[in-house]
Amino acid sequence: MSTSERAFRDPAPAPATIGRPPDYLHESHTLRSWFLTTDHKRIALLYLAAITAFFVVGAIAAGLIRLSLVVPNGEIFTNDTYNKIFTVHGVVMVWFFLIPSIPATFGNFLIPLMIGARDLAFPRLNLLSWYIFVGGALFTLADLIIGGVDTGWTFYAPFSTTFSNTYVIPALIGVIIVGFSSILTGLNFVVTIHAMRAPGMTWFRMPIFVWTHYATSLIFLLATPVITIALILLLMERAFGIGVFDPALGGDPVLFEHLFWFYSHPAVYIMVLPGMGVISEIVPAFAQKRIFGYRFIAYATIGLASITFVVWGHHMFVNGIGTGAAVVFSVLSFAVAVPSAVKVYNWTATIYKGRIRLQTPMLYAMGYIGLFVLGGLTGLFLATLAIDEHVHGTYFVVAHFHYIMVGGTMLAFLGGLHFWWPKFTGRLYPEAWGRISAFLIFIGFNVTFFPQFLLGYLGMPRRYHDYPPEFQLLNILSSAGATILAAGYLFPMVYLIWSLWFGERASANPWGARGLEWTTPSPPPAHNFARQPIVDFEPYAYPDPPADDDGAAHVG
Amino acid sequence: MTTARRMSASVAAPEGVGIEVAEQFADATQQRHAAQLGMWAWLLTELLLFAGLFLCAAVLHVTHPAAVARAARHLKVWIGAANTAVLICSSLTMTGAITASRHGWRRWMLRCLLATAALGTLFLLLKGFEYYQDYLEHMTPFLDRPYALAGEPATRLYIDLYFLTTALHALHLTTGVAILLGMTWIARKPRFLHRHQNWIEVYGLYWHFIDLIWIMVFTLIYVVPR
Repeated sequence: MSTSERAFRDPAPAPATIGRPPDYLHESHTLRSWFLTTDHKRIALLYLAAITAFFVVGAIAAGLIRLSLVVPNGEIFTNDTYNKIFTVHGVVMVWFFLIPSIPATFGNFLIPLMIGARDLAFPRLNLLSWYIFVGGALFTLADLIIGGVDTGWTFYAPFSTTFSNTYVIPALIGVIIVGFSSILTGLNFVVTIHAMRAPGMTWFRMPIFVWTHYATSLIFLLATPVITIALILLLMERAFGIGVFDPALGGDPVLFEHLFWFYSHPAVYIMVLPGMGVISEIVPAFAQKRIFGYRFIAYATIGLASITFVVWGHHMFVNGIGTGAAVVFSVLSFAVAVPSAVKVYNWTATIYKGRIRLQTPMLYAMGYIGLFVLGGLTGLFLATLAIDEHVHGTYFVVAHFHYIMVGGTMLAFLGGLHFWWPKFTGRLYPEAWGRISAFLIFIGFNVTFFPQFLLGYLGMPRRYHDYPPEFQLLNILSSAGATILAAGYLFPMVYLIWSLWFGERASANPWGARGLEWTTPSPPPAHNFARQPIVDFEPYAYPDPPADDDGAAHVG
Repeated sequence: MTTARRMSASVAAPEGVGIEVAEQFADATQQRHAAQLGMWAWLLTELLLFAGLFLCAAVLHVTHPAAVARAARHLKVWIGAANTAVLICSSLTMTGAITASRHGWRRWMLRCLLATAALGTLFLLLKGFEYYQDYLEHMTPFLDRPYALAGEPATRLYIDLYFLTTALHALHLTTGVAILLGMTWIARKPRFLHRHQNWIEVYGLYWHFIDLIWIMVFTLIYVVPR
């Protein structure tokens, strides 16, 4: 079939689709059928479109930040403008991209497919959470761009309640609203995973992806309400003078930090755990090998989700919490390394002696593992009290969490997007472009953020754009890396959209992967499975590797 | 007259009780399980929402014990206690509605639902009266008028927190009464229980939980610090 023929993608029944039941994309074509859909797959694509748009906004803000930091004296933007840009970057990337990124798109699309359900338990609630998300996020975004807010994404009191002269109130309202979308998504996933599994789909037959989303949903349910009430209290204090945190009244601003980090540290795991789920699917598929230590990864997932609730204090080592509390939080924070390392070792052991194919999703997954290790190890530096005293509030911290958030979550997001793109759309993307973009992102990311470790260690404080001239070289390097990173992000946006019309048609299982989602056509029919699947196989049932160790012969 | 006939019919022969299975579920048991679990998950988030406020109250209690005790003695504990009794009664009528719905006694169910809504409204009226008393006693530090305990700024934090917590609870209760009335309006039609009996069950969880939250608020905000 020539390219031009492929271009006529069928609303009209083309020969190839005769006798084939319409899939979820082609079942109906009206705008109404998209915006009022209750199909989890379509809602996932609505989320994908929304978070991609927010990602672009956040990335533009990041570009402006890097532009400003090219010169040491901060003469490109005024201080106020810089603070507003960086609040846009923080708020949009954290609240409107990273937190919903993998759960609301891939989780929404894949959980019912992976456990053999027809939909999520509450399809209308799922649609409602999309509208809440988009409504709240657009409201905040309008406020951030038209009015401007200079508090950063953390809204620390008393700056946010008393001293900031920017439009904090609408931003708070928007973020509170978006929180409800997280809660409803988490609720839907928890109930779906408990109540909607196909016959035979026991807990320990679920893919790790589902386990990680279960853990993430628990965090959504348990942590999000706490940030909701903390932000409501801020809002009341700023809007009506009903104070709780205001030190002028004897209130305690550190109390806000406790409430804030009680959510926002677990929120890191809202961002990280789903990425770990994605990697746990990609690695066995491209090593063609059963995942190593399945139960350990599942338990480590729940372990991470549990420990994450008791380490929030490590964000507050230098703000005057007691030494005893600081030591306890430090020790607990070290404990996070254990389940994290369990996962990394298990992925590595899965790759070992596998029949490895270095296709695009696997390249992203390998990048993820490396960057996550670096981000995780520098996290141990920060959990160490003495070192944290030195590097707290510097670019070392910025580099650390970008290794986890971008090097981790963003790479997992892109890896997952490439891995499941054929399932979402029924089309394959051009493999060569995929590999180029994976390399660009990996290189661009490291050039951008590794210098920031050095800057931070040398003492460059975060949040300021006016810095001593001796830091300029490393800052220019970082900004140069950001341009490579930007190019790496642009490629997938172009070729993935191109592939919607011109990409090769995908089979049901283009990667030879295991899992229920690969047993149904690409794209799946509206109700996911032609017949109710019955699960009588273990997860990741890849064939055993050949005993004579000729794995290299199978490289595709 | 038709009403009378319908009533006697429903008393004499209870309607069938069941649920309409939504397309994503395999059967009614799965749907019931999912709906109950979903409500429990929601209630968990509600508990944590209030937990943030309880934590703030506890912290204030520890940091400013004398001021908090003084502020707490200004709260109208008898109105709070009366409201606790009102809500416990409303939980009783809600349980009545659930039991009636299980037996298909639609008429009794409607009466119990209306009684529950009435008790919820009574709670809100008493709460409003309490706020009015607070206003009269100059216990509203966030308003632009003299404050009775102006000499002790920390009492202001506790009173602020009292207003926030009880207002958030009242908001939940107002929503609850509104949903209750809406549901009663829908449930007045025959065959409601045939299709949506589990609405009553699931809603009952919410109502009892809001009641439970009030008991916590009353204990932790009114009673313990006195």
